[in-house]
Amino acid sequence: MRTAIQALTVLLPSAYLLAAILHGMAFGGDRAPQVDRPRRIVLSVTLLLHLVCFLLRALVLGHFPVSDVWSTLSAVAMCAAGLFLVVARRSSGERGVAYAGTGGVVLGLVSVLQLIASAFGPTQLVARAGGMGTYQVLHVATSVLAAAALILSGVHGILYLLLYRQMRARRFGVLFAHLPDLDVLARMTRSSALSGFLFLTVGVNVGIAMAHAEKSEGFRYAQPEVLLSIVLWIHFGVIAFSRHIRGFSARRASFAAAGGLVALLLSLMLILFPGISFHSRL
Amino acid sequence: MDLALTLVGLSHRTAPLEVRERYVVSPADLTACLAAITGIPGVQEAFVLSTCNRTEVLVVGEPGTDVAPALRAHLFRNLEDEVYVWSGVQALIHVFRVASGLDSMVVGESEVLGQMRRGFEAAQQARTLGRTLRPLLQQALHVGKRVRTETDVGQGTLSVARVAVDVAARVFGRFEGCRALIVGAGETGLLVARHLVDRGLVNPTFASRTQERAREAAAEFGGRAFGLEDLATLAGEADVVIACIDGTGVQLGPDTFDARALRTRDRPVLAIDLSVPRAIDRAIVKKKNVLLYDLDDLQQVVQENRVGRGAAIEGSTEILVAELHKFLALRAYASFSPVIAAMRERFERVRDDVLDSVAGASTDKRDIELAHELSRKLLDVALDHMKEGARTTSSEEALDHEYRRFLERLGAEDPP
Repeated sequence: MRTAIQALTVLLPSAYLLAAILHGMAFGGDRAPQVDRPRRIVLSVTLLLHLVCFLLRALVLGHFPVSDVWSTLSAVAMCAAGLFLVVARRSSGERGVAYAGTGGVVLGLVSVLQLIASAFGPTQLVARAGGMGTYQVLHVATSVLAAAALILSGVHGILYLLLYRQMRARRFGVLFAHLPDLDVLARMTRSSALSGFLFLTVGVNVGIAMAHAEKSEGFRYAQPEVLLSIVLWIHFGVIAFSRHIRGFSARRASFAAAGGLVALLLSLMLILFPGISFHSRL
Repeated sequence: MDLALTLVGLSHRTAPLEVRERYVVSPADLTACLAAITGIPGVQEAFVLSTCNRTEVLVVGEPGTDVAPALRAHLFRNLEDEVYVWSGVQALIHVFRVASGLDSMVVGESEVLGQMRRGFEAAQQARTLGRTLRPLLQQALHVGKRVRTETDVGQGTLSVARVAVDVAARVFGRFEGCRALIVGAGETGLLVARHLVDRGLVNPTFASRTQERAREAAAEFGGRAFGLEDLATLAGEADVVIACIDGTGVQLGPDTFDARALRTRDRPVLAIDLSVPRAIDRAIVKKKNVLLYDLDDLQQVVQENRVGRGAAIEGSTEILVAELHKFLALRAYASFSPVIAAMRERFERVRDDVLDSVAGASTDKRDIELAHELSRKLLDVALDHMKEGARTTSSEEALDHEYRRFLERLGAEDPP
């Protein structure tokens, strides 16, 4: 079982990269090979393999298998790819094809996250002493899902800004031809932000409640990782409901989501890297 | 292949929109323009085609007269590189290509065929068409239809209106909750409305010079109708403004859009100007949250479409060459008509003389019929030889070569 986990850990970054390349080929337009079916199959199979790896790790460890920096990055990658697949499937037909272009960017980022997780993660799986409680699993799972949704929101925000800039400049190149329309990108930015906000609401509140209940060593509201998480929570909350805020245009929401993505990556680093955060001492 | 044809013009290939819009001939001015052209010494017949993408004059000059400099000086003064001149068979090739939509900004679009037909009718009314241009233009209209029906060039019902709506869809997707203002209720305006409604837009607003037309359009598409006097207010409320109103000049300027209102909008305002001369001031693009495109911008969008149609364009070459051959053969045969008439007269005179000389000997009705039959058959043999001669006046191979030379000179992106 451990051999299978190791093999899958090595295989996953390449599989995600292949899926990213196949999706990115949409930017080649009519001149690129038609790979609609292969791109769907590769992504589905990759996600299935990732899920198998995840379950095998749970069996070997005997607890929820997200317990360190590397497994968290891997879980975020899996959830981001999974959420993308759901969105792409829902946007079938012409929009589905347009989504292939978005997939090139989302899955490119996913493959980088998975590559870091596979390259630097421990080769030997060591179970956490005392396992993980239900609230801890809830906190970690919702936080991972929130991070994945916010990554999607940020990526869609960046793509909105890129497409908008191209259209303002009257450049009708590959981005114009192969990205979803501005309306879809804006909607995806906001709906992903809403999903992220809801997951983060659960994740942050369960985390704070746990810290209080268990009197976690080193937990303070003023700590950068806690503050940043709360700021991100409010930030993406505002983006999620920005349609109802006068003057908060789709372009501003996209700009905010792109900024939020940078803050999110910073927050992940603060939370996950040993020595910086109190999480590393848990 | 001696053809006293001269074509002088400018198009989207050679001149930017700000030049093209200065040389548009409106339908109201067409008759006067044709009269002025036929007033140029040496010009016998004239036809003018003026669309949003081209202004061209096709004339038949007196043999041995070069009317191109006079036409240039009369119609396109102060222009150099923007103006092209085609003569003889190459002018004919150009006209056939224009009618086929091969020279259009949106390859294969069918609007040019209608515009050509209207130009033809105007020239008919102005009595500036003669023995050369009338059949030539009729043949060109026939070629235009043939190319579109027998090749894939016209597939996908492309038009500038369709491209404009495609661009709008890159902003608004399925146009859910989108407020559209269509300025102008003419042919293009209705086409824009049709494409928008097909994509899911509801309740389009029409603003037109003639409210009656706006009302008719609104009734057809379930929208609202206004006159141009309400334009500023309507544009301020709209998400997408598509202007397709010709000959009015600027109708919408930067003052139409309130900067504060623009900043608070969720979606950008999209303005697409299909009018020539332009109806939307380019300065509005300086405002935040506004996207503005005109015909030259749309030209960039259709380049992609042009690449994908290479095979279809290649397929149309065969039709064009065959039709060129047919036209030239018919023309050559028609040039024999005085000879044919003289021959017929001579045959009949000889027959009657012979019959008169033998009338005394025999007045049998059957013999007379036989003599008529014989003279007819002899004449048919002679005519067949003349037809064959006309057909070989210009071989298809020579025309194919001429067509390739035309494309080389054009520097066209069409496949060789």
